[in-house]
Amino acid sequence: MYLITMFEDMGKIFVKYWDLFLIKGVTATILLSLMTVFFGTVIGALLALVKISKIKPLKWLVNAIVEIIRGTPMLLQLYISTFLIPVIIPAMNELENKKILCISFTLILNSAAYVSEIIRSGIEAVDKGQTEAARSLGLNGTTTMIQVVLPQAVKNILPALGNEFITVIKETSLASTFYVGELMTQYHVIVGKTHNSLPILMIIGIIYFVLNFVLSKLLGVFERRMKAHA
Amino acid sequence: MLDVKNIYKNFGDLKVLEGVSTQIAEGEVVAIIGASGSGKSTLLRCMNLLETPTFGEVWMDGKLLTPVDPYLHPEVIMASKTYKKLSAAGMSSEDAVAKIKAEDLINEKFSAAEGKEYRAEMKKIYDENHIDINLARQNMGMVFQQFNLFNNKSVLENVTLAPMKTRAKQMIKEGKSKKEVKEYFNGKAMALLNRIGLEDKANAYPSTLSGGQKQRIAIVRALAMEPKVMLFDEPTSALDPEMVGEVLDVMKGLAKEGMTMICVTHEMGFAREVADRVLFMHEGVIAESGTPDEIFNNPKHPKLQQFLGCVL
Ligand SMILES: Nc1ncnc2c1ncn2[C@@H]1O[C@H](COP(=O)(O)OP(=O)(O)O)[C@@H](O)[C@H]1O
Ligand SMILES: [Mg+2]
Repeated sequence: MYLITMFEDMGKIFVKYWDLFLIKGVTATILLSLMTVFFGTVIGALLALVKISKIKPLKWLVNAIVEIIRGTPMLLQLYISTFLIPVIIPAMNELENKKILCISFTLILNSAAYVSEIIRSGIEAVDKGQTEAARSLGLNGTTTMIQVVLPQAVKNILPALGNEFITVIKETSLASTFYVGELMTQYHVIVGKTHNSLPILMIIGIIYFVLNFVLSKLLGVFERRMKAHA
Repeated sequence: MLDVKNIYKNFGDLKVLEGVSTQIAEGEVVAIIGASGSGKSTLLRCMNLLETPTFGEVWMDGKLLTPVDPYLHPEVIMASKTYKKLSAAGMSSEDAVAKIKAEDLINEKFSAAEGKEYRAEMKKIYDENHIDINLARQNMGMVFQQFNLFNNKSVLENVTLAPMKTRAKQMIKEGKSKKEVKEYFNGKAMALLNRIGLEDKANAYPSTLSGGQKQRIAIVRALAMEPKVMLFDEPTSALDPEMVGEVLDVMKGLAKEGMTMICVTHEMGFAREVADRVLFMHEGVIAESGTPDEIFNNPKHPKLQQFLGCVL
């Protein structure tokens, strides 16, 4: 009968703290994710351009950074950056939001590493014949990229970018270790008041699930539309 | 018009072209035939530098498209350290040049190893003769086996993209408005589409077209740049048999108008009827060349006889 008690507790806790869950937590999670994906995409696109460019040393550097990011745990990266960044940039210590800045930076860089791979493979999946046809007409590399390759690559990239968004939403929970106010942080806040972990965790689980489920359904619709127009 | 000088092409260890030279005159129609894998496509792609030749040079209208090949310029060889060493050892000038060429002794063609003088000589020839590859390509259309129409653009946009991107700026500088320029290129594109009877497809996308339609549009897309020479790489090989004719008809029309054409083809009937000259490629060299009559009615090279026996 523990289950029934737990459901009752879930109800009570949700009614009492719904604003912490839904308003503070969800908003912070979505904002953090949106920001991460947005800047992650912008930086990831730049990294991808370096990867497909012919500038060897820069390429090597970017590949090394991306491999390190992809090969180490996110939580570790978050810890390291909260210590390391203030050491590198002492001015950070004066800032009130130093923690959230360090964490945002790490989330963005991490996302950028994955996005750069998504974009690179999306570009390379475009048929070489498209580039050859454009170049054979006398168009330069940049025009070919902008007019012919990228518009087709976007169709490969957008669905994968949607999945990256879902991954990021889940990964922002790691930032709760540093109490940045997103959904998972609310667990620590509320458990401090109720001393009853499981119902809170269940509620948060449900919220994450609903968020991602809705998002992935939306992406599915979007993807089908895009295919219909191709 | 087009001068192909001693082209070699290696892909890693694979030697695909081993010394191909030919000159294509203005208005000439040249057919390239040969077994699959003999290097026909590679030769064609070396002409517009979709592949960079390992050795050799390509010239169009007196302009150099490729990097300088030192072996084609005795004065470059004579400026090299390797030549000076051989001379110092008492070798005659002619022998030294011949030895260097034959044994590929100038290995590091573009490095400092051969000395300042050598590099200065290379640079001089390059600066005096080379033309930007994008400019050169604007004068050489290419038609691919797989059509390669731009999937993300309508038929009309496929045809107008390159002229717009390469020529609109100049026209606007000369005082035309953006709208006038666009209408001008659209008008020209429609006239070209009209010529192949596909003006009603102007707003269609490539994925909705048949292979024959795609290939005719690909030809027209290349023509929109008003090229001096057209390169065709097996333009009918990916087509259903009933569509081959419509594409060949467009090509015949072009030949009749005096277009300079180089066609890699398996259509022996077309080569016989339209070509002024036929090149037979075998294992990376032009094994035999001649008029269609010579090639088809009196083939000499045993491999050509064997090849014709298979395809005719
Ligand atoms: N980009 C490439 N990389 C490696 N090998 C290639 C490449 N392009 C062509 N080849 C090889 O070169 C040879 C000649 O090819 P190709 O010129 O396409 O012949 P053809 O057009 O006469 O059939 C083939 O063995 C082919 O596999
Ligand atoms: Mg071929």
